[in-house]
Amino acid sequence: MRPSFYDHLHPPTIPAAQARLRYTLGMGGLAVFLTLVVGFTGILVTFFYVPTPEQAAKSVQELTFLVPFGWLMRNLHFWSAQLLILVAILHLLRVVFTGAYLPPRRLNYLLGLSLLVICLFLDFTGYVLRWDEGVHWALVAGTNLVRSIPLIGGGLYTALVGGSQPGATTLIRFYAWHLFGLMLILMAVGIWHLFRVRRDGGIAVPPPELRSDKERITRTELSRREGLAMVWAMIVLIMLAILVPAPLAPALQEGSVSASENLAPWFFLWVQQLLKLGDPFIFGVLIPLGALLIVALVPYITPQRLSPAELGRWFPHGGRNVQILVAIVAGVIILLTLLALLPLHT
Amino acid sequence: MRRGLILASLLLFVAIGFAVLQQYRSLKPVGITPSLTGQVEYCLTCHADLPVISQSHPVETFGCVMCHGGEPIALTADLAHSTLRGGGNPSDLSVVEASCGGEKCHSGTPQDNRDHIQRVTTSLQATYAGAIAQVRYAFGAQPAPTAQMGVYAIDGLAAFDPTSESSPAIQTFGNNCLYCHLSAEPLVGDEYIRWSGCSACHSPAPREDGTLVHQLTTSLVYTQCNKCHNRGNYSLLDVKFHSRQDAPTDRLHDYYQPIAEFTRCEWTLDCADCHTRQEAMGDGHIYNNKKEIQYIRCRTCHGTIDSLPLTYTITDENDLALRLAFLNPKVDLKVGDTILMTDKGELLWNIRVLPGVEGTTPTNELFSKATGQRFTFSPVMGSTCQQKPDQQDARYCHECHATQR
Repeated sequence: MRPSFYDHLHPPTIPAAQARLRYTLGMGGLAVFLTLVVGFTGILVTFFYVPTPEQAAKSVQELTFLVPFGWLMRNLHFWSAQLLILVAILHLLRVVFTGAYLPPRRLNYLLGLSLLVICLFLDFTGYVLRWDEGVHWALVAGTNLVRSIPLIGGGLYTALVGGSQPGATTLIRFYAWHLFGLMLILMAVGIWHLFRVRRDGGIAVPPPELRSDKERITRTELSRREGLAMVWAMIVLIMLAILVPAPLAPALQEGSVSASENLAPWFFLWVQQLLKLGDPFIFGVLIPLGALLIVALVPYITPQRLSPAELGRWFPHGGRNVQILVAIVAGVIILLTLLALLPLHT
Repeated sequence: MRRGLILASLLLFVAIGFAVLQQYRSLKPVGITPSLTGQVEYCLTCHADLPVISQSHPVETFGCVMCHGGEPIALTADLAHSTLRGGGNPSDLSVVEASCGGEKCHSGTPQDNRDHIQRVTTSLQATYAGAIAQVRYAFGAQPAPTAQMGVYAIDGLAAFDPTSESSPAIQTFGNNCLYCHLSAEPLVGDEYIRWSGCSACHSPAPREDGTLVHQLTTSLVYTQCNKCHNRGNYSLLDVKFHSRQDAPTDRLHDYYQPIAEFTRCEWTLDCADCHTRQEAMGDGHIYNNKKEIQYIRCRTCHGTIDSLPLTYTITDENDLALRLAFLNPKVDLKVGDTILMTDKGELLWNIRVLPGVEGTTPTNELFSKATGQRFTFSPVMGSTCQQKPDQQDARYCHECHATQR
């Protein structure tokens, strides 16, 4: 019988090393779970959201305050989306710092990285859909970054914003990207990514002949561990949803669009901080793309130094140069994010 | 592992229980759809106990958001109040047009008597143009005490900026003496506390315990006026405000400062019983000082030895006098009633001419706007008064009628 997709991801047995929490951190599985939560709550939220400038913020407030459990729906959607970004980043760092990007997993590494980028855009578009005073930066500075790209910037901006300045067309375009464009790409690439995990031999560990740990776990055991992780994740999500509501602000009024005192969404704070340094194209487009390129090239930088025998553990020797490179990129991004937050406390 | 799964599942149920409890404990929205906006608003969820602000602003018609702004659907205080106009006071002059304006509300035409905002914003009480002119003239900054500047620029008045004045005294005036105009924060102290904008006169000040009174009224007690007036004097010697020191305990002494001279009706009635809308709120023109806009004299109500006070007979259901009486129904006015009228044609809707015997001098009755108390009085004509008709300033009347205190 042809195995189901579930069985494809859960073979009868797998090496215990592939499912060890201190190795994988469970981040891949968590990302899948959070994607399911964000997708399901997203479907629910869609029933209430009205994508017009006049109604958008109002419908979000109605969902939050008037619809029974609407606040829970929205807060779960918000928090699962935020945690998904965090989990995806940690997943990426785990892969980099354990050398799991080595062939044959190069393609899947790039698929995973593109999933992170898609998630960032999904979060960004979702954040703009609030259409309230809290999204000024995204609407003005964020979209203007596109305009700063030489030659094609103007056209790209018009395509994205739907006019010479943010308005009703912008909202409907972001809405369409959020619900269809990005979502479909996410589903396609996501399923491909999961499929490739098994096609590439499961989570990276040394080949059987080099493996010291011969222990294997069953499909049932794997499912049980995943179930446990999901339950814990759900508990965290529900508590976050109860205790820390997703942000809300007064509706965006026409003519009040100004980016001066607005913070970018947390995952783009580092770009906002970079923009303070100078030319928007260089600091807002080229440098972030450069950082992405560096991370994308990880599997291609001296892969021969890393031996398959070193897989399955953290910080293998052969991948030291790559680890240092990515650590620097991550450190700079964290530093810039903290600098962007600093004025809040002074 | 199995035990861990059971424990985690139990905790998940607890978390879900918390969510259900949270939903159960959340506020039950109380909505209202005001007829003027047609947009549902949920302010009454928290503010259901607020009294209607005035009978001319019923909540079913106006709701809250039309005047106050704010987020109509939000049920958290921070968000709901984040876009309130003028904080808790939508009548502050900086936002009054958005809050109280509108052709059919308070920025209509003078013909409809709905030009309140235009009148108030150009009035001396709002611009402070009279005091600014007097002080700038006194310290040599302008050749005559004519209104040239206001606390904001409007209708030919420039904005008064103390920092660009060369005279240190005028700069000090700017720092020490701009507490009484309608946009100013009042001086510190219970005796000065009041709102800004329209509410400076038309809403009671917050109570001593800090709670607010949700009311718009034309039933103005003299103490409302005394939040700014009769509290002391600004001295040109040190360019400072000096509060009155006599600590009055009864109305006779509280009404005016010790230096003033007045008659019994002045301290028995309230300021608003005699002083008119145009005097207090302006008439849309710029005046140089209080004397120019203040025109009510004793003769306005009492007449002179050879003339009766002017009168006006109500002929129309939509008459301004009836509208004003509706706002403060202390007197039961109706079409056909005759009331007194000022030289400028302002209707004294709280003073009715009593029907009398033909050929005799008519008697008038005044209803206190604050208390509804009824006072009857007769005109000068036919009395023993000998005051010359061309000498009608208050000081002449005070010669005989001033109250001893």
